[in-house]
Amino acid sequence: MNPTLCFLALAATASSALPATSSRGLLAIRVDRAETVAHGTLEHAVILIENGKIVMIGEDLPIERGIPILDIPEGWIAVPGLVNCYSRVGMDGDGPGDSQPQLLASAALYPAAEAYAKILEAGITTLGLYPPGNGIPGQAVAVRPMGETAESMIVADSVYLKIILSASKASKKRLHSGFQKLDEYLEKEAKNREKWEDAQEKKKKKKKSSKKKDDDEDDEKKDDEKKKNGDDGSEKDDDEKKDDKKDDEDDVYVPLELSPELKAFKDLRDGSLEALVSISSSADYLHFLDALGEEEITWSLRIPLTRDIDIFMVAEKIGEEGCRVVVEPELTLQPGTMRQRNIVAELARAGAKPVLIPRSDDLDSQKHWMRDTGELVAAGLDWELALRAMTLEPAELMGLADRLGSLEEGKDANLLFLNGNLFEPGTTIEGVMLEGEFVYGEVNQ
Amino acid sequence: MRSLLRTKAWITPFLALFVALPASARQGDEDEGSSDASSEDSEDEDEEGAERWFAVVGGDVHDGFGGVLRGATLLAKNGKINEIGYDLYLPEGTDELDATGYQIWPGLVSVTSSGLFGGTSSLEDTVDPFGSSMILALGGGVTSAVQSDQAAKLKRGEIKGVVMRSNVFASLSYSNSDPRSKAALEEKFKNAAAYRRKYERWQVKVKKDKELKEPSKKGVDSTTLDVLLGRTRGKFSADSRTDLLGIARLAQKYGFRPVIEGCTEGWTVADELGRAGAFVIMTPRDRRTKSEELARDGGSSIENAAILHRAGVQVAIVPATTSVSLGGITGRDIMHLPVEAGFAIRGGLPEQAALEAITLVPARLMGVDHRIGSLEVGKDCDLIITDGDVLHYQTFVQWAVVEGKVAYDKEEELFFAHIRPRPEAALAPEVKVDPGETLEKEPVEDEEPTDEVSDEDEDEDEEKPDNDPDDEDPDDSDESR
Repeated sequence: MNPTLCFLALAATASSALPATSSRGLLAIRVDRAETVAHGTLEHAVILIENGKIVMIGEDLPIERGIPILDIPEGWIAVPGLVNCYSRVGMDGDGPGDSQPQLLASAALYPAAEAYAKILEAGITTLGLYPPGNGIPGQAVAVRPMGETAESMIVADSVYLKIILSASKASKKRLHSGFQKLDEYLEKEAKNREKWEDAQEKKKKKKKSSKKKDDDEDDEKKDDEKKKNGDDGSEKDDDEKKDDKKDDEDDVYVPLELSPELKAFKDLRDGSLEALVSISSSADYLHFLDALGEEEITWSLRIPLTRDIDIFMVAEKIGEEGCRVVVEPELTLQPGTMRQRNIVAELARAGAKPVLIPRSDDLDSQKHWMRDTGELVAAGLDWELALRAMTLEPAELMGLADRLGSLEEGKDANLLFLNGNLFEPGTTIEGVMLEGEFVYGEVNQ
Repeated sequence: MRSLLRTKAWITPFLALFVALPASARQGDEDEGSSDASSEDSEDEDEEGAERWFAVVGGDVHDGFGGVLRGATLLAKNGKINEIGYDLYLPEGTDELDATGYQIWPGLVSVTSSGLFGGTSSLEDTVDPFGSSMILALGGGVTSAVQSDQAAKLKRGEIKGVVMRSNVFASLSYSNSDPRSKAALEEKFKNAAAYRRKYERWQVKVKKDKELKEPSKKGVDSTTLDVLLGRTRGKFSADSRTDLLGIARLAQKYGFRPVIEGCTEGWTVADELGRAGAFVIMTPRDRRTKSEELARDGGSSIENAAILHRAGVQVAIVPATTSVSLGGITGRDIMHLPVEAGFAIRGGLPEQAALEAITLVPARLMGVDHRIGSLEVGKDCDLIITDGDVLHYQTFVQWAVVEGKVAYDKEEELFFAHIRPRPEAALAPEVKVDPGETLEKEPVEDEEPTDEVSDEDEDEDEEKPDNDPDDEDPDDSDESR
């Protein structure tokens, strides 16, 4: 992958065919239309890129002389790079079926996987990779599908905690007991701290009292006992010295060790970690809420859309939550009939925020992600919402909205160039730019 | 349904409030607002004002003991029956269901079932309140059932308060075909009875001498002890005359009321079973051939239920298949519980006893007759509204209500809506199952116009005074009997 990148970079400097980089690292792109996602459509857009970031974007911006200009062919449009936040592309292996919230998917990255180059071709510039397994398998990582090492791939780690919840006692208990154990720890911890504080106070008192004692004894100055006192005094001094040393050590409170499993639950409760809860039916949703109880965490839902899923039964309730729902671009059937339902549109209408992912992890599905989403658009899903569900919404889910997901100043220059209107059959991805560099396609001036 | 719509309109502003909350709260990182809303949303109807009123107006209320109040009103508060009578004052915001011309019965109770709740073992954690089996069973009039020894309600869309009582039954084996376990059970009862005597004596003595220790439970079988103490019911599966006699004698010897499942030859020993205070769970259509080697009576009889009832046995009826079955011959699964009871009537069981065999007796058997099984003030508002006698084969359940909420509406579900639709429903445009599919933005889709029309139409109905001529349908209920 890197060689091609180098080649592209060289080619850019050598000829004007692909002016991806210049000496100043500045590049202006002129395109008929840009879908910014965050701020609507820009006609005759100019996108100024520097060091892999968008520094300026607007309609008909004047371009300073000397800045290389890339003119995108007429009728083409630019959209933000796609973000697939729920994937296992390029990873392998099975996970445990147990509660392992501390596991990181980033530990199992395989940068050399060939799939990543194809992923870029499909227009996906950011991937959210989740850990395998059932139960609570661990935390997902956001990567750019390029790089020689895991470090160079990772955009952000611990982007969400995956939780699989089904209507069963064991599954509900897994979530519930996690918080319960955390409570137990916190209680123990509080007690321990109290104990330490008490000890600390006692020591202070002891110090004071012992000093007083010494003073009194000095005052008495009884010759007979002078020797003894002296001995005692010296002994006491030693003790005090030891105590002082101990005090120095104890002055900084060392909390009880928090196991990594509980740390994950603590992060969930603090809000520093978000949960992605996978459910497969309406009943599961109710059981999830039941298992969660009073716990206040930030969560999104993952609902695999099977052929006759009954999730529309709780669509209103999910909508009232206003949470994100990770779904495939699939039309489902009303159970027991052949009547199609556009659950994604229904959820959106109810107030939920759909996050779309390709239909599956195989390369064909990744490639046809836009086309598949087009089917939903044709069946009534708002196209702007659909584009948002493939870009900014997943970026927000992973907490990366400040860097990804839309064409805005200051964000990474992840761009796709399409040769026609969005979600129309026949429209294909002609160019993919990852952080200011063309990684796929030939875009001529 | 018009009445339901009215309440919906009343609720909407509240819902809108809840929706508005999370939307604004999500903007910031804090999710307090949204999760607050969630907890309120899940129980919105119970929480709002703390009082939820529901009324069935104008139907003939059958209380389940044989009494009928024609054209009466049943009012429920928070899922419990508050009042049954005439000219009731309905508090503001009451969810009214117009049942003029329809019959109201206690919700049916199936004392065994499988698959209705989706889950398997602990229903509270596994129930699927959206499953089609549950809808179909409700369509058959069943509002409560026992599954995995848990007495549970067919609540739709809710998982809380599903289980009324667990450990309803303790399965015991006492059969001549297995002498060893028969002897073992006898031994267990002997020990348990001895312990109970000791325990009772201790209970008296401990009042004087508080130091006295409770007798040791060592070697006492807890299940049999629970049966003797009435904490659960011992359930036997038996059909042959000799087995039935054995169980009756065992029960009389140790002083408990046995539950006997099957009991096809029960009619031959009905007196003994009656004296033992037995409960019988039977299927009137069950058949068993007489053993020709024996001179005495045997085999099954269509009169079984009637004879047992006359002898004082508490008869509960279940269909041959206690799940929802969509294969084989229709009419034998749990959707046809009343039809099965009808066969007992054919064999001479009084109609009232047949009704009780699928309502009050199973409720008693499950130990929840203080909550379900009949329509009385203070009991749960679990009822079915039919277009005729509940035991008549032609009758359809029009609505099923569980704890004061409509859990089933024939016109709203796919299954039977097209068969003899309700008069007012026949006039209204077809109700689409799929109202979520229409787009307000672009009215391109063909489903859209019909949907809007239906909504408008219902709204118009709402404005009309309630004396809709079509609601009266004087023939419907009488015709079927």
